[in-house]
Amino acid sequence: MAEVRIDCMYEACPIPLIKALKKLNNMKIGDVLIMETDHSCSITNVIEWAKKQGHEVDYAEVADGEWEIYIEKRR
Amino acid sequence: MIKGDYMKFYQKIIKKPWTYVVGGIILAILNIILFWFSGKTWRITSGFLYWGMGILEKFGLEHSNWYYFNVYGNELTKGKTFFNNEYTILNLAVILGALIAALLASEFKWKKIKSKKQLVFALLGGILMGYGSRLSFGCNIGAYFSAIPSFSLHGWVYAIFMFVGAWIGCKLLFKFLL
Repeated sequence: MAEVRIDCMYEACPIPLIKALKKLNNMKIGDVLIMETDHSCSITNVIEWAKKQGHEVDYAEVADGEWEIYIEKRR
Repeated sequence: MIKGDYMKFYQKIIKKPWTYVVGGIILAILNIILFWFSGKTWRITSGFLYWGMGILEKFGLEHSNWYYFNVYGNELTKGKTFFNNEYTILNLAVILGALIAALLASEFKWKKIKSKKQLVFALLGGILMGYGSRLSFGCNIGAYFSAIPSFSLHGWVYAIFMFVGAWIGCKLLFKFLL
């Protein structure tokens, strides 16, 4: 089970989502993608999108206005 | 108001985004009111065009003989100047309103420039958008949001090609830039 980090700091929609989509394509089922972002919209749209894709999703605010989104690839 | 009620109001109205339907209806009503009182529909980039023309004029550049303004005119309201016009107020008010909303929702944050690459592409993208918006008589506000309710066919043409452009842009982003 691998962990992949992507740096999406200071990037706005739709860049974080497209980056996640691209990374997830090359990952194995069970791998975890960790996205670092300071874009509050990503907390809504990346999470909504990943859930719809059937992945396991969680997130945490790691600093003021900075989040990590955890996506476990399920399919 | 008791505290629980206030928190509910804060979460629902101030903090969380509104739905597209609610936002769309409010924008439509506001645009009708604007049109009613000023005789102008909402436009964004026209204001920036005027600022650009005004700045060039200050530097002594003569643009009234440019091909673009000879074919289309600048549509400036009589008695208004490049800096003192409806669109200057609208554009500044949009920024002020967005700032207030962001501050109230405690979403305000200074963002750093990530890299030289981001800076270059942001500038390139901005120039392309500005150039394109003037060829199509506006951005997605002036040439789409304000054009379709005015029963202007060009709004629909703009809409179709906006989707085509966004699709191509996404493909390019996915393939070459990320």
